[in-house]
Amino acid sequence: MENLLKTDRNSTQKPYKTRIRGIGRYGIFIAFMLICLVLSVVTPKFLTVSNLLIVVTQVSINALLAFGVTFVIITGGIDLSIGSIVAVTSVVAAMFAHPDSYPVIVPILAGLAAGLLLGAFNGLVITKSKVPPFIVTLGTMTIGRGLALILSKGRPISNLSDSFNFIGGGQLAGIPTPIIILIVLFIVCSVVLKKTVLGRYMYAVGGNEPAARASGIQLNKVKMVVYTLCGGLAALAGILLTSRITTGQPNAGVGFELDAIAAAIIGGTSTTGGTGTMTGTLIGALLIGVISNGLDLMNVTSYYQQVVMGIIIIGAVVLDSLNQTKN
Amino acid sequence: MKRIYFSSFSAIFLLSVFLSGCNQSTSSEKSGESEGKKLTVGVTMLSMQNEFIVNVSDEIEKKAKELGVELITVDAERSALKQIEQVESFIAQKVDVIIMNPCEVEASSPAVTKALAAKIPIINVNSETTAKPSAFIGSDDVESGRIAMKFIAEKLGGKGNVVMMHGYMGQAAQIKREQGAREVLKQYPNLKLLAHQTGEWDRAKGMALMENWIQSYGADINAVFAQNDEMGMGAVKALTDAGLKNKVIVVSIDAIPDALQAVQKGTLDATVFQNAEQQGAKSIETAVKIAKGEAFDKEILIPFQLVTKDNLAKFMK
Repeated sequence: MENLLKTDRNSTQKPYKTRIRGIGRYGIFIAFMLICLVLSVVTPKFLTVSNLLIVVTQVSINALLAFGVTFVIITGGIDLSIGSIVAVTSVVAAMFAHPDSYPVIVPILAGLAAGLLLGAFNGLVITKSKVPPFIVTLGTMTIGRGLALILSKGRPISNLSDSFNFIGGGQLAGIPTPIIILIVLFIVCSVVLKKTVLGRYMYAVGGNEPAARASGIQLNKVKMVVYTLCGGLAALAGILLTSRITTGQPNAGVGFELDAIAAAIIGGTSTTGGTGTMTGTLIGALLIGVISNGLDLMNVTSYYQQVVMGIIIIGAVVLDSLNQTKN
Repeated sequence: MKRIYFSSFSAIFLLSVFLSGCNQSTSSEKSGESEGKKLTVGVTMLSMQNEFIVNVSDEIEKKAKELGVELITVDAERSALKQIEQVESFIAQKVDVIIMNPCEVEASSPAVTKALAAKIPIINVNSETTAKPSAFIGSDDVESGRIAMKFIAEKLGGKGNVVMMHGYMGQAAQIKREQGAREVLKQYPNLKLLAHQTGEWDRAKGMALMENWIQSYGADINAVFAQNDEMGMGAVKALTDAGLKNKVIVVSIDAIPDALQAVQKGTLDATVFQNAEQQGAKSIETAVKIAKGEAFDKEILIPFQLVTKDNLAKFMK
């Protein structure tokens, strides 16, 4: 039985999937370069070192969230709670980040713990019950928002220490810290996905759950790890955000989950699971960031900005899927 | 089977209608004789996720305790539909007065109409509805925009480039604050509105927007008007990071504690104080006056005040 399924996977699914992955990434990369090219021509302010540094800094938070959600979507799940996890983390980290209270590692660990806990909660409920991830994480989204408001009494928490504010607002060798954090986590997430057994299991679970189960993969364990990981990455995004705006905000992160999911999907992660890469997701996040930055530079009215953004997102994905079917 | 279900449902329905009818008559008799008893006031607030609204609500609660009024406070979570349902439930509970902090100008209007139809006085606090309530307590947002832009105009000597950060497009506060700012801009032809864009009331979004503006306009920007303090604080952060803060004036609205601290530090040049305490206190005071049949003001407009380093002490708690 096991053998049969294995050969079955190898003969039909795997080559098909690798093909899509390769071309998908290529298509979105072309779209990204095209948009950058257009922006460079239209506004001379776009292609400057300082502006590009700012774009990547602005993208970093969404990219971290998108990395986490990419893991989840690859296993065939979804996580809507990450925006709220950002809020909880923001409040928790800020509570421990006042000057002269604790060393800077304490707010980081406290925030991270909050995110991991909420992520693990998602994983636990999803694996123990048969409730779809969409509904479970929708619930956690509301719970998280409520917790953030309870902990902060509905008010922003300010007056944070300089060392904490350095995390998202500092520079190392002229490079803003969020960019360094982004690069490090991009490498870590790529390695996890590509080079580890866990990563292979994620593709297997999302690609064909019965087959994965039959081949002896412990589905629940993989899912548990994936949702916890996603919560952890959301926590890091929350800490970054809090440090960048130097306040803990209970209403931070509203709608962030949608931008993160958009980045993953634009980057070629299939919503049905089994495909996706961190490089694709990173380009997806950069694409969204570049569009928003470019439209601001061109001073496009806010009414039009939203329309343009939506059209470009759909356009990018349509282009991508046309590319796939053609080949 | 279906028919049995249907008939039993309708029987229960009719019975409950009948019973509630009975209830109504007895409770209205009761309320007639309970003149000396504790007043009950139902309060529905726009959103308890908003610091200013929380402050108004806290003040209502504080004052209610002083006056010996029983409060039922609920959060409409920015949904006009939810707010209408909450008011309906207040009507069913036969509260003496309703205080509503409307979610929307049009969509929350039916709540006012329903309360008045049930002969329960309703007071709007902070923002308006199309339907006229028994009383309105709040401030005129147009004035706040005017005050903020006037400060910029005077600081710049009537000449320079301004950028404006909007709140959520189409919300009453956004529309009115913009209107006030534009009125002043019209009076100063040499004051140019370089760019305007929404920061959705959000600090992180305001910061990103300011970073992008700095990229495209750089040192051409002389002043920033942010329609709330959160975005203003974001602008201050972006300008400070870019080393431009001492060259650019930033003014915002609301006077939240963070903003007051920033004014003290000199990073934020001014904020405009909207008096949450007064709005809260006056609304519950008016509620009591109405319930006791005393004379009351149909409209109390609490003025905005400009907060700069000079008069800061008054506003710091």
